[in-house]
Amino acid sequence: MPKSSLDLLQGTVAVLILKTLSWGPLHGYDISRSIRQRSDGALGLEDAALYQALHRLERKGWIEAEWGVSENNRRARFYRLTDEGRGALQTELSTWRSYVAAVSKVLETA
Amino acid sequence: MPPRRSFRFPRRTASQVAAEIEEELAFHLDRVAEELAADGWPREEARVEARRRFGDLEKTRAVCRALDASKEREMKWMERWHELGQDLRFAGRQLWKSPGFTLVAVLTLALGIGSTTAIFSIVYGVLLRPLPFQAPERLVRPYFIDPGGETHGAFSPPNFLDFKAASRTLSDLTSVENGTLNLSGDGSEPERLQAALVGANFFKVLGIRPLKGRTFAPGEDRAGAPRVAVVSEKLWWQRFGGDPGLIGRSLTLDGQPYTVVGILKKGVQLPSAADVWVPKVFSPQELKQRGAVYFAAIGRLAPGMTLRGARAEADVIGRRLSTQYPEANASYFKTMTVDSLEERMLGDTRKPLLILLGAVGFVLLIACVNVANLLLVRAAAREGEIVIRTALGAGRGRIVRQLLTESLVLALAGGAAGVALAAWINRTLVTLGPRGIPRLDQARLDSAALLFALGISLLSGILFGLAPALQTSRTDLGGVIREGTRGSKGRTGTRARGLLVVVEMALAVMLLAAAGLLIRSFSQLQNVDPGFRAGHVLTFKVTLPQGKYPDDARLRAFTTALLERTAALPGVTAAGATAFGLPLSEEDETLSFTVAGRPPAPPGKEESIRIATVTPGYFRLLGIRVVRGREFLPQDRNGSQPVVVINEAAARQFFPGEEPLGKRIELGWKANGVPHGGEIVGIVAGFKQEALQREIEPQLFMPYDQAPVEALSVVLRTPGDPSSLASAVRPVVRALDPDLPVYELQPLSETVASSISQSRFYMLLLGGFAVIALVLAAVGIYGVIAYAVRQRTQEIGIRMALGASRDRVLGMVVGQGMALALVGAAAGLLGAFVATRGMRSLLFEVSASDPATYAGVALVLVAVAAVAAYLPARRAARTEPNLALRGEG
Repeated sequence: MPKSSLDLLQGTVAVLILKTLSWGPLHGYDISRSIRQRSDGALGLEDAALYQALHRLERKGWIEAEWGVSENNRRARFYRLTDEGRGALQTELSTWRSYVAAVSKVLETA
Repeated sequence: MPPRRSFRFPRRTASQVAAEIEEELAFHLDRVAEELAADGWPREEARVEARRRFGDLEKTRAVCRALDASKEREMKWMERWHELGQDLRFAGRQLWKSPGFTLVAVLTLALGIGSTTAIFSIVYGVLLRPLPFQAPERLVRPYFIDPGGETHGAFSPPNFLDFKAASRTLSDLTSVENGTLNLSGDGSEPERLQAALVGANFFKVLGIRPLKGRTFAPGEDRAGAPRVAVVSEKLWWQRFGGDPGLIGRSLTLDGQPYTVVGILKKGVQLPSAADVWVPKVFSPQELKQRGAVYFAAIGRLAPGMTLRGARAEADVIGRRLSTQYPEANASYFKTMTVDSLEERMLGDTRKPLLILLGAVGFVLLIACVNVANLLLVRAAAREGEIVIRTALGAGRGRIVRQLLTESLVLALAGGAAGVALAAWINRTLVTLGPRGIPRLDQARLDSAALLFALGISLLSGILFGLAPALQTSRTDLGGVIREGTRGSKGRTGTRARGLLVVVEMALAVMLLAAAGLLIRSFSQLQNVDPGFRAGHVLTFKVTLPQGKYPDDARLRAFTTALLERTAALPGVTAAGATAFGLPLSEEDETLSFTVAGRPPAPPGKEESIRIATVTPGYFRLLGIRVVRGREFLPQDRNGSQPVVVINEAAARQFFPGEEPLGKRIELGWKANGVPHGGEIVGIVAGFKQEALQREIEPQLFMPYDQAPVEALSVVLRTPGDPSSLASAVRPVVRALDPDLPVYELQPLSETVASSISQSRFYMLLLGGFAVIALVLAAVGIYGVIAYAVRQRTQEIGIRMALGASRDRVLGMVVGQGMALALVGAAAGLLGAFVATRGMRSLLFEVSASDPATYAGVALVLVAVAAVAAYLPARRAARTEPNLALRGEG
């Protein structure tokens, strides 16, 4: 595993989780793996931060959790996006995009 | 992918939450370790590496636990809220579906909650609301205790000043004397005002702030100070139309000019009936008369002092004053005490009002019992519904909660209707209530009463809802399914309903007994021989101010002229006048006396007697019987032989075994150095001068002409309606003296009626509540028997098919009802026997365990119960055996 991953900004974890869950329910381990794979390992999301974020999002009501059976036949806690979470994802995405656009503009004109 | 959950999990406990977090994290760590192992890490090292890569595991655990716990709490509340909404909607639908039941239950509850709230509003306004003075609980009244243990509140100026100077427990002491003043000279009709003659510190001691202007300044009660007055808001509006310029204006009171300096707010005044307050200036002569007692004192406890401490101190001061001045004080008092002002003002009203509150409490209980009964009947009908809900997984707690919600909805609906009823009752009681209940006019349905209504509504909802809910939820699934539609708990349900009927009968009997006792004592009171004939008599009062009538000659001249002119009015057959001698006037003028020829009594042991002066023909006019000797004649004039008449009570008390006629009496009242009194020439039967309940006290009468007094009550007899004379009286008085107000102008029969109006008020209220209770109890019995008959239709059909006669069936059903009623009645009579002990002081010539009342109550109740049981029994006896057996009866 490459050690040169970017440190994630606070709040970015949430939008990554929401986006990951938008394709369907997953347990924590799969979420972690999915984010790592899709960023080609560039984003090193620490597991401790991931689980705290998951429970924080659940408390907010953006995702909900339920026990299910994993692909290797073990009991695992699956997370799913709620309607509220889906709406939140849209807002977060557009905030993120305008943030990125703004930052790029500054950096590129410099 | 797991299925979306379709029902709620029971909420998790804290340890479950912790275990789930542990499992979730363990799953993650295991998977990472497996992944590493697959990459070739040795097993143990893979586990350690997984832990390392995870980051701060401890912190994650703690954060997740805290988050999940708060989530659980929120979910629990949301669920509760959701269920409450469900229950409310369901309750609404259920009640809407049975409008008959709902209406009866709501009306019953409205009756109970409404009357209880109304009486509470009175009790709160009169008894519980603090007096409108600053720190009213620190205000006290000093009293004298006489050798017989009776208390007297009246002070003389020297005793007042000595007590005030000696007291350390009171921060200040003030005086208040009730009086009347003639208001005249402002162009309008002269008016008799209720006046309070007070110390200049009076308002400061009580902590009363004026509505406008100021109260009295220190020194305004000293001789020579300018005359000032404070008036009530009522007088300000009624007499002066709320004129803001009244302050600073001059009023003529008893012929003297007074400057108005302030106006007191309505309801924040003492005495509550006063129209005007003026500073009391003690004359040098008054300051010498230790034996003349005529005003009350009010003090304020000094900071840190207690009532108990003030009492101890008053005892010491009182004993000293009594022994130091035996001549003036020894016969009046032995010692002194103090009492809280509040207790003294409200103490007499407390008991009857609390009894009324207890009585409506009973009505409310009976209403609750009735509704509980209805709910039990309904519960039996809803067994099927409960069974289905239980079968679908509703827990017992959930079902109890649902049923209780229904009761609470009913109770709140009843409470809302009850508040409307209470508002009406409150207004009626405040308008029609008798005089003499302090602060009754200020008792409103205020926020305290509304809060009370809400409280008792919720309480009743739980009270009448809980037992039926518990019973219903106990439904035995298997039993109901096996037995088809008939519930397995029919028997216990019947027993519970029977018990409720017994309870409500007992409560109704207790109320009826209490009401019966009050009714009996009221009728005793009405049958009291007052000693005079009140019909066809008009009375009125005038008081001749000293400035204009300084001597006896002028008093005599005015009285003679007034009687001549009123006697000449068309419709008047006789006219008379008295001072201190009007029936039921509660005027009390008591003087010490000696009988000529007897050795003089030692100081402090003189005998005293209530006196009055009357004009010739006064006794005949009022129908007061002359027992022996003669009444006063026109020739008993000023200057002729002085004579007196005594009543039988005086003859008995002061001349036991002696002939009073011919004896000479000398009174402690001197005119020009010569004591009043004279030879006893007659004995009259006597009449009630205090309340009808009170014994006639010894009394002595003098001819008005021989002892004229400025306070005059005139009585006129007419063959017609006395109130029709009223309008003719004022012009006669005005023609004699235009500044003289006529007051208390009313038929004597009205005086009699208002003297018993409090007894009547309490009797009518308690009687009304008892009737409501009786009706509710009768409805209760009827309901229970009717329901039992419906349930037993098959059994009755079988009995009749087997040859039981209709009479037999009728007897059986009525018997069942009567058994309940009799048990209830017996319990109630026993309860009444105990409870009515507390009413003794309200009763007049009736014992609290009056057998006639108890027998009457029992009889009424049994009769009502018999009718209530007979109606359903008749239906039972009409049962057609065929139909009943086929289950169609």
